[in-house]
Amino acid sequence: MPLPNPLDRALPDFTNANVWRAGEVGSASAQTVATGYEALDAVLPGGGWPQGALVEMLQPQAGQQEWGLLTPGLVLAVNQPATLGDPGAQLTALVGAPYLPFGAALSARHLDMRRLISIHGKPGHPNSLLWATREALQCADVAAVLAWLPDARSAHLRRLQIAAHAHHKLLFVFRPLRAQNESSPAPLRLLLQGAVEEGGNLLVHVLKRRGPPLAAPLLLDTRPARLGALLAASRERARLKREETAPLFPLSQFLPVTSPMSSVHALLDRIAHLDHH
Amino acid sequence: MRCWIALRTSITTEPSSGLMDKLTVQRIVASMALGFTPRVALVDEAVLMDVTGSLRLFGGLARLMALLDVRLTSFFDTHHVAVHTGRAQGATSLIALGRLRLQAESPAATKRVAELPMHTLSAVLPHHSVLERIGCRTWDDLLRLPRDGVARRFGAELLEALDRARGSTPDDYEWLVLPEAFEEKIELEALAIHGPELMAGVERLLAGLQAWLLGRQSGLSALRLTWHLDRRRDVPPTGELEIRTASPAQDLSHMARLVAEHLAQQQLPAPVHSLSLQSLATELLVDSAAATASLLMQAQHQGDSAVELVERLSARLGDTCVQAWQPCADHRPEHMQRWTPAKIAIKSIAATARKNWSSGQNYMQKWQKKTFAGPAKGVKSMPGTQTDALYPSWLLPEPQRLATEGNSPVYQGKLTRLAGPQRLEATGWLAASEGAYQAHAERHTPPTMRDYYVYRSEQGSLLWIYSVRLEKPVLQLRHNWYLHGFFA
Repeated sequence: MPLPNPLDRALPDFTNANVWRAGEVGSASAQTVATGYEALDAVLPGGGWPQGALVEMLQPQAGQQEWGLLTPGLVLAVNQPATLGDPGAQLTALVGAPYLPFGAALSARHLDMRRLISIHGKPGHPNSLLWATREALQCADVAAVLAWLPDARSAHLRRLQIAAHAHHKLLFVFRPLRAQNESSPAPLRLLLQGAVEEGGNLLVHVLKRRGPPLAAPLLLDTRPARLGALLAASRERARLKREETAPLFPLSQFLPVTSPMSSVHALLDRIAHLDHH
Repeated sequence: MRCWIALRTSITTEPSSGLMDKLTVQRIVASMALGFTPRVALVDEAVLMDVTGSLRLFGGLARLMALLDVRLTSFFDTHHVAVHTGRAQGATSLIALGRLRLQAESPAATKRVAELPMHTLSAVLPHHSVLERIGCRTWDDLLRLPRDGVARRFGAELLEALDRARGSTPDDYEWLVLPEAFEEKIELEALAIHGPELMAGVERLLAGLQAWLLGRQSGLSALRLTWHLDRRRDVPPTGELEIRTASPAQDLSHMARLVAEHLAQQQLPAPVHSLSLQSLATELLVDSAAATASLLMQAQHQGDSAVELVERLSARLGDTCVQAWQPCADHRPEHMQRWTPAKIAIKSIAATARKNWSSGQNYMQKWQKKTFAGPAKGVKSMPGTQTDALYPSWLLPEPQRLATEGNSPVYQGKLTRLAGPQRLEATGWLAASEGAYQAHAERHTPPTMRDYYVYRSEQGSLLWIYSVRLEKPVLQLRHNWYLHGFFA
């Protein structure tokens, strides 16, 4: 039987929901929006993307993982049922998107493209992106803001965090990996990494959250089912082809030169030739 | 029985603020009063309004008075002017005015009409000392005097005023009429050298414009601001700015912000000495008369609307920097969609920005039945839109030529081919417009084919890469590889 934690006895019994112990995953006091991935919901405080807080995402390269991770949550956020007196915000604002969002693919992920506005910075005005992000957060019709801010500093992010908190919006800021060692005001920081594995294509490291640090990264499959099926089919076809064609040709052709077996085969071949003569 | 309201508004701010003088305030109050009744007159220091015909529309005198108060207070609050509004009501215009004057002298006093002091009647003032000496103190005393004697001694005006006060002659004035278009010119207090310095003047003009809008029960959708430059310089005498908004509004704070954004970018070639403002287009707001009475409506409008956001962003960043999506019927991926300036598509954005409750519910129910990775069919989409999960979610604005290694493309390291090819006929891809496309076709350019493949990079991201091949493969010694999108 485990011994009771001495701290438990020393401290009064906190049953108050407002008290968060650093050893547990915080139940975010603010509202959250489900991410659409159960594994991710389980490790995020409050069980989803926090509304009214900055979510910082670090990526090795902008434009590689965003949509797969975010679209299920965004679709939920912009379709939140309206309450009386609050018709519900509907727009998603993209600030400084690295490429053009492709409507054909995003519509297939249930995102309503007509409710998307894309804002680009004015050339020569590095702060215009930050300004646009803040303005978008202040708009009552905007439900979520996705901002790619490679040059933002910690002080800038703090202002964005305050704006997101004041206006109760979903705010995702994408930054490069080099920002990992800078301090950040974001209550939730994630590091996204592509993965080549059977179970998924995206590794999510939770760098910072209201709760104990997460030891192992999460593996998520964020690809649409049709794309996944296509890739699986192609893989299967390639494998079958390899199996079919393999017996027809000498094996040595298919083995890479660096294979430890190739020298053996070469040797055996030479021996066979010698015998023949 | 008729119902009159007399209003007098006086500024209680320090006179140094100088935003509005007495006359401007009276005119502003009068034009706001026109929002309630067409029978409004400026008499001496007060604004008189006959609201008899409007009582039913506004739900009674008490509600009308409350609404009038709310409008006046919010108007002067937004322009940072502290005012005191005196307000009195009576069965004729002169009773209302008399009560208003009495109220100003001794706020607590409430008297019957007969007991109103004599001097509260304007027509009495020239003969005040004589009347006082013959023992008249109140309206009642005046009415007791013989009519012919009064006419002979004091002139017909006093008699006429008395009749009007009693209600035995028609209570008509020269009614105030607002001009069809607003136009005002002011001199600046100091010469302005930079664009933003004009804002103080613009705010003064906008205050007048807003009162005019309230009186006409319309919303402003376009205005023209003209500034007059110092003549001594060798520059054109005026400069002007036209600002339009998609949502006509009575509240001009959004307009003021748009003007400020435009002025911030304005280079003035010479100092500016005066400003004029003109309303170009207004729209009648049908429900503005009675509907704005609800205080709940005001509570709902927290934060800006989508239209305001797009217009403000476009004003500072430029129209091309704020974009909205438009589908196109084309099989070539780069022509399937267009990102157009959001200012043009603003109406449809605003329409979709706020859904009605039921459709949202339906959509949610439908949506919840599906899994996240469900098939693309059944998605609410516009006609002419192709949706396919097999397209990449990012598209490069221009396909990027990739380096090759042997006969396969390289992008930040080696690539692994996962799927493909998917063949697409892409003739005219080089043509910038349809006209050029025609010219291209006439020159019998061989149709180009593109084979799209899905590649995986070393970092684990999926790339959409195509190779161009001409119809005659003989001509082509090696493939050209282009990166066209990312599966993010």
